[in-house]
Amino acid sequence: MRLRTLLLKEWEEARRIKMVIYGVVFLPLFMLGLAVLMAWQARDLPLEAQAVMLNTSLLYFVILPIMIPLSIAVYAIVGEKEQGTLEPLLATPLTETELFMGKGLAAVIPALIITWLTYGAFLAVTWALLGAIPEGVLSAPWLASVFLLSPLLAMFAVLVTVLVSSRTTDPRAAYQFSSLALLPALVPLIVYSTQLTAVSLTLVAVEAAVLIALNAVILYVAVRLFRRESILTRWR
Amino acid sequence: MISAQGLTRRFGDRAAVTDLSLSVPEGAVLGLLGPNGAGKTTTVRLLTCLLSPDAGSALVAGHDIATDPQAVRRSVGLLTESPGLYKRLSVWQNLLLFAQLHEVAKPEEKAQRYLSLMGLWDRRKDLAGTLSKGLAQRLALARALVHEPPALFLDEPTAGLDPEAAREVRILMEELRSEQRAVILCTHNLPEAERLCDRIVVLNTRSVSEGTPQELKLRMFGARTVVRLARPQPELAPALRDLPFVKEAESSDGELSVEMEKAETHNPELVRHLVEMGAEILHVLPQERTLEDVYLKLMEDEDAA
Ligand SMILES: Nc1ncnc2c1ncn2[C@@H]1O[C@H](COP(=O)(O)OP(=O)(O)OP(=O)(O)O)[C@@H](O)[C@H]1O
Ligand SMILES: [Mg+2]
Repeated sequence: MRLRTLLLKEWEEARRIKMVIYGVVFLPLFMLGLAVLMAWQARDLPLEAQAVMLNTSLLYFVILPIMIPLSIAVYAIVGEKEQGTLEPLLATPLTETELFMGKGLAAVIPALIITWLTYGAFLAVTWALLGAIPEGVLSAPWLASVFLLSPLLAMFAVLVTVLVSSRTTDPRAAYQFSSLALLPALVPLIVYSTQLTAVSLTLVAVEAAVLIALNAVILYVAVRLFRRESILTRWR
Repeated sequence: MISAQGLTRRFGDRAAVTDLSLSVPEGAVLGLLGPNGAGKTTTVRLLTCLLSPDAGSALVAGHDIATDPQAVRRSVGLLTESPGLYKRLSVWQNLLLFAQLHEVAKPEEKAQRYLSLMGLWDRRKDLAGTLSKGLAQRLALARALVHEPPALFLDEPTAGLDPEAAREVRILMEELRSEQRAVILCTHNLPEAERLCDRIVVLNTRSVSEGTPQELKLRMFGARTVVRLARPQPELAPALRDLPFVKEAESSDGELSVEMEKAETHNPELVRHLVEMGAEILHVLPQERTLEDVYLKLMEDEDAA
């Protein structure tokens, strides 16, 4: 109940922030456009070459679950610090877990919904343009990336942003540092998108395993950072 | 009811609060006075379970801060040093949020009641970021009250407000006082403390002095009477000192300042003696001391120590 109250408040605030709207609305539209463009250009290529071009399209769908939570989480944390609202908030019966979950879910839930909506729109648009959904776009590695990797990536993005944001009072700085810290998560996919074969389930599985391990470690640190004492004495 | 025994909190090597004990019964207001860095905010944070003490214990509204912090947070209202409002949310949303976080029975009703009480009902749709400092402070006060907590902590409620806004907030606080709740008020405004507080603790990381404003004045300065003479008669002061009920007598510029055990009962006797000694009295007045005099003297003694 308190968690729900906090979530609704986060979204009510977020929808009034330009940077967040940019991340949540324009970025997905932009990514959708690029992904469709790739599919369009690949339309007449032989299957092998088509798969390689579509790797790049897939990359856009794994960037989204990283970039969307980043913009929401930065403001959800730095915004509280800027406005000096943490102390009154912490003086309520809200538990530390609820606060942490509230901030995290406020970023992860929209990220996943929007990523999946964008993917759905991609399927619909390519089908409308090309008369058929391109081969490979509904394959196991694609579906595993969109539905399994996204939550892990979104969680990773939130956790990293939480750590970074607790150390700064400047949303822009938090944004930039977090983006940098998030880059490594994409390296395997970026490398892969330049390879000449289609994305494979093995790659997705390895990426997922690495993300789970990273998430566990950062979660351990972040939960400690979210104790009342730490928030009031160690966040700067 | 708020009571604390031996509260102590350090930050690294620096002591913020040392061995502080205090007690605030229902319906009473305790003032915490002290210079910057004296530990007022830290004390409030310890009692609202935002920080944990290194030593000592406290009960707030019947709950132990060490064993039942969640129950403590349910029973406290806190007005923080800065108002801390969500600037992008409306006045109404700001208040309703806290009513809901405290899980009060009818959050909308309570939010409406306290907005009206603070004179903010007409501004409920405005973004909190557009409020003037004084109005923002009133909203913060409404937020501290919306769940009707039995223990209320006000950290410098009138700091940074213009005299008129400060006066309005003070009037609101006076109205709150009649209710059955224990209040701790931190302030640098000494007339405010004198007016609003039943008891005062002067703090400088540890408790320097404690009592009602009246007790503090008597303790620091005793009861003094000032006698204005028609012309300087410095010989009177030593003679007065020989009287059994006179503790201290000083003379300067045709004015005698006399400290006695009980000014009210000894004044007639003092005047009779003075007339017998040939004093030419213009008028006799009690010497008024303010809490500010007390505070400044206490801090002087602190510096000397
Ligand atoms: N989070 C913190 N980390 C380190 N030191 C702190 C922290 N909070 C307070 N202190 C130190 O504890 C001491 C007491 O601070 P506190 O804020 O309680 O004083 P205060 O009486 O409220 O002062 P003011 O009148 O300026 O509000 C100060 O020396 C302060 O520097
Ligand atoms: Mg303070």
